[in-house]
Amino acid sequence: MSKINQKPLLLTLVMIISLFLTQCAPKATPVSQSTTEENAPAVSESQEEAPATEAAQEGTAAKRVLRVTFSWPNRIDPAVGNDYASSSSLLNLYDSLIFPNAQGGVDPWLAESWTISEDGKTYTFKLRQDVKFHDGTPLKASDVVFSYDRLKNIGEGYAYLVTAGVVSVTAPDDYTVEITLEAPTALFLPSLTRLYVLNEKLVRENTKAEGPYGENGDYAKEWLQTNDAGSGAYKVKEFPLEQYLLMEKNTDWWGTFAANAPDEVRFIGTTEAVTVRSLMEKKELEISDQWQSFEAYEALEKIQDVDIAVLPSMTTFYYMVNNKKAPTDDVHCRRAMSYAFDYDAAVSLEWPGTKQTVGPIPASLAGHDDSIVPYKRDLDKAKEELAQCKYASELDKYPIELHWVAEVPDEEKWALLFQSNMAEIGMKVEITKVPWLSMVENTSKLETSPSIATIYVSSDLPEAGLMLKQKYHSSTNGTWQQNEWLQDSALDSAIDEALATLDDAERYAKYSAIQKQLVDNAVSLWLYDQVEKRAVRSCVDFPAARNETSMLMGYYFFAANIGVNCP
Amino acid sequence: MSMIRFIFRRILYSVFVLLGLSIVIFIIARIMPGDPARMSVGARAPQWVVDRIREQMHLNEPLVMQYFYWVSDAAQGDFGLSLITQRQVTDDIKEFLPASIELAFYAALIASTLGIGLGILSARYKDTWVDNLGRIISYAGVVTPSYIFAILFILLFGFALKWFPVIGRLSDDVVTPRIITGLVSIDALIQGQFHTFLDSIWHIALPALALAMGSIAQAARITRSSMADNMNKDYIAAARALGIKEREIMGRFLLKPSLIPTISILGLDIASILSVAFLVESIFNWPGLARYGMNAMLYKDLNAISAVILVFGAAFALMNIIVDIIIAQLDPRIRLRSSRSD
Repeated sequence: MSKINQKPLLLTLVMIISLFLTQCAPKATPVSQSTTEENAPAVSESQEEAPATEAAQEGTAAKRVLRVTFSWPNRIDPAVGNDYASSSSLLNLYDSLIFPNAQGGVDPWLAESWTISEDGKTYTFKLRQDVKFHDGTPLKASDVVFSYDRLKNIGEGYAYLVTAGVVSVTAPDDYTVEITLEAPTALFLPSLTRLYVLNEKLVRENTKAEGPYGENGDYAKEWLQTNDAGSGAYKVKEFPLEQYLLMEKNTDWWGTFAANAPDEVRFIGTTEAVTVRSLMEKKELEISDQWQSFEAYEALEKIQDVDIAVLPSMTTFYYMVNNKKAPTDDVHCRRAMSYAFDYDAAVSLEWPGTKQTVGPIPASLAGHDDSIVPYKRDLDKAKEELAQCKYASELDKYPIELHWVAEVPDEEKWALLFQSNMAEIGMKVEITKVPWLSMVENTSKLETSPSIATIYVSSDLPEAGLMLKQKYHSSTNGTWQQNEWLQDSALDSAIDEALATLDDAERYAKYSAIQKQLVDNAVSLWLYDQVEKRAVRSCVDFPAARNETSMLMGYYFFAANIGVNCP
Repeated sequence: MSMIRFIFRRILYSVFVLLGLSIVIFIIARIMPGDPARMSVGARAPQWVVDRIREQMHLNEPLVMQYFYWVSDAAQGDFGLSLITQRQVTDDIKEFLPASIELAFYAALIASTLGIGLGILSARYKDTWVDNLGRIISYAGVVTPSYIFAILFILLFGFALKWFPVIGRLSDDVVTPRIITGLVSIDALIQGQFHTFLDSIWHIALPALALAMGSIAQAARITRSSMADNMNKDYIAAARALGIKEREIMGRFLLKPSLIPTISILGLDIASILSVAFLVESIFNWPGLARYGMNAMLYKDLNAISAVILVFGAAFALMNIIVDIIIAQLDPRIRLRSSRSD
């Protein structure tokens, strides 16, 4: 063995160590949150903008910060965004006429009060007079009209919800808004929670003349991607797309902040398990996203002072059975599958607290019929039903084609369970993993729709009628929300009629009849109502964990109601 | 003069390559399943909104016409609107490309320093424990994908030891320097913000190292074998016989010719770091172009997909030209061959 010259080796080692130390150097200097005193007041704007080194030298108290991870992208234009991150951001940056409450109803918000005409078609809202936008401009009825027109003309985001059936929105005076509908509907009032009011003056100032909206140019769409024009409890401080949205407290907000409400809210665009876990361990994250795997939640729960909050949602895991394709076009074959499936085993594969769906919609929705008896595994009944199916003697010719979404790997567990359950009654199931884009494409036409598509579907409002419409009305044929292809005009009329009934008890009775009919026809398999799981640091006072917040998507993260007491 | 011609010819070839790439990407992006307009506004948006977007993007016209519109706009630097960010794709590229370049720059720095260094050590101490250790590191680096290193580094240095940050480009309490190049560390240096510079290096260390691991291994292996080959050549024996010092032989006579294959491979590696970084960028929440491109594919954002791939293609072409120039400088035979063929 040749003798090794130690000098170059030593030199290399010294270089690596120096490099390493250099990289570690800033660790000692940043302003740590641990320097915060429990009840330290919020720092002034000038302090916030001071370079970190100066802040460190002056010993500035750190702010109360709420950091939450979300699945990206985050679209903060009220006429564009409608997914989870976007909704959670919009309701913090903007105010709406009314605000959803934990009971499934609505409370006054920008509108102090409202009256409904006798025919149920005209709503008159009286606005608060003490509301100012973030730039100090007073909020007036004309801003509400502008916000509605903008949403309608752009047609994206929550436009489909807010503008459906609305004939006109007018401002008789500075603080009155009048909205006229084509016909009375129970969905109108709750849908107004998604009409976020923009500052017309500021939007006009930032509008580009060239754009697809005629005289409205680009409607400031580009500017509103990274800026806000709202009056909400928080305002945009920084928004590097793809990274995070940083919002700061609007100290001039007209509403009331919870004690210890965060001074800053940072929504971070990542759901990577290892990143979320490390952030939580380093106390750089207060609440995790809801997209972690079962194993990841178990690991997060082991971190000191971190709990897994199990929150109700308006989502059901559907096995959408194609009612027009053999052999599932025969109700007896569908019932046979419904009786053969092991729901208890399916639920046990999910996080503790998950329950089998009762009926065709999530139990959390107003108008859900709790008295429905869901299908339970009963192989005798399954075989009995199968014997009555017209395809019983030739099942081999009609394998069940099950498509599950490739981007949600956990879905394979239920697909395999389904396959083995169906094999017990002689039904052959062919499982295919399908990318989401293909799933959307396949379910857009009857000819390409599989026998079963396994998809989670959420209701947009906490109202049974809307979910029934989303899932089973003919208007959603050709979208990924309905692989059932019911195309039943009688059912469509029943849903429309129920939605037009303003009396709650009467409407719920109509919903109930529809739910029973759908269950009887076994149009889908309803596996379980999804619970939203989030790892939460115990120093966060999170009202959603106590069921004190509306389930409407995003409202769990209304930061003005959340307390942050983290050291 | 011959060198200028040489560069000019390389650039001309690259233009043809990029044109071909643009056609391939344009077609592949359009035969992917799903309607991009519907994907961008969701299942519940009314059909007229979808139709408006389709019309804006010329999606109802024949593929040839669509390509014509796209190429003529792209030639003027207009890649159209991104359906995800709802901004001009050119603006998105301007925002995300510098972050990717910064990452690739530091990864390249680490890869070339450590890779070549390790290769030299292995060659110098051939068949000793140093060489064996270098080989083990090299094989591990070659067979392990960068995202595995990313996860390992986060778990070790971020989670267990808590030495390094796990997301972002700067700490929450550090003010971002004014944008000059878009490379945060360089901008901080230019503006004399040394603390910000250190903070940015602290943040980039793990993702850059994770991305560099594969290249370190490649560079080390190739440098070692190339040096080992050359070590047995007559001119080295002659140099030794003349009593030239070992250090001079290694540095002056052996390293320079041995670096040619290493530089070729490193050049391509560095260009590929830009495009293959999407998982590492996702893990470290790094706002780079690869991650943007990955999201564009998931949402079938046609304009963004085409533009991002074209940028990566251009990066490859550019790196190839740079590598050719460096090699031509290192190896006079290539220079001569090139001038003779002119």
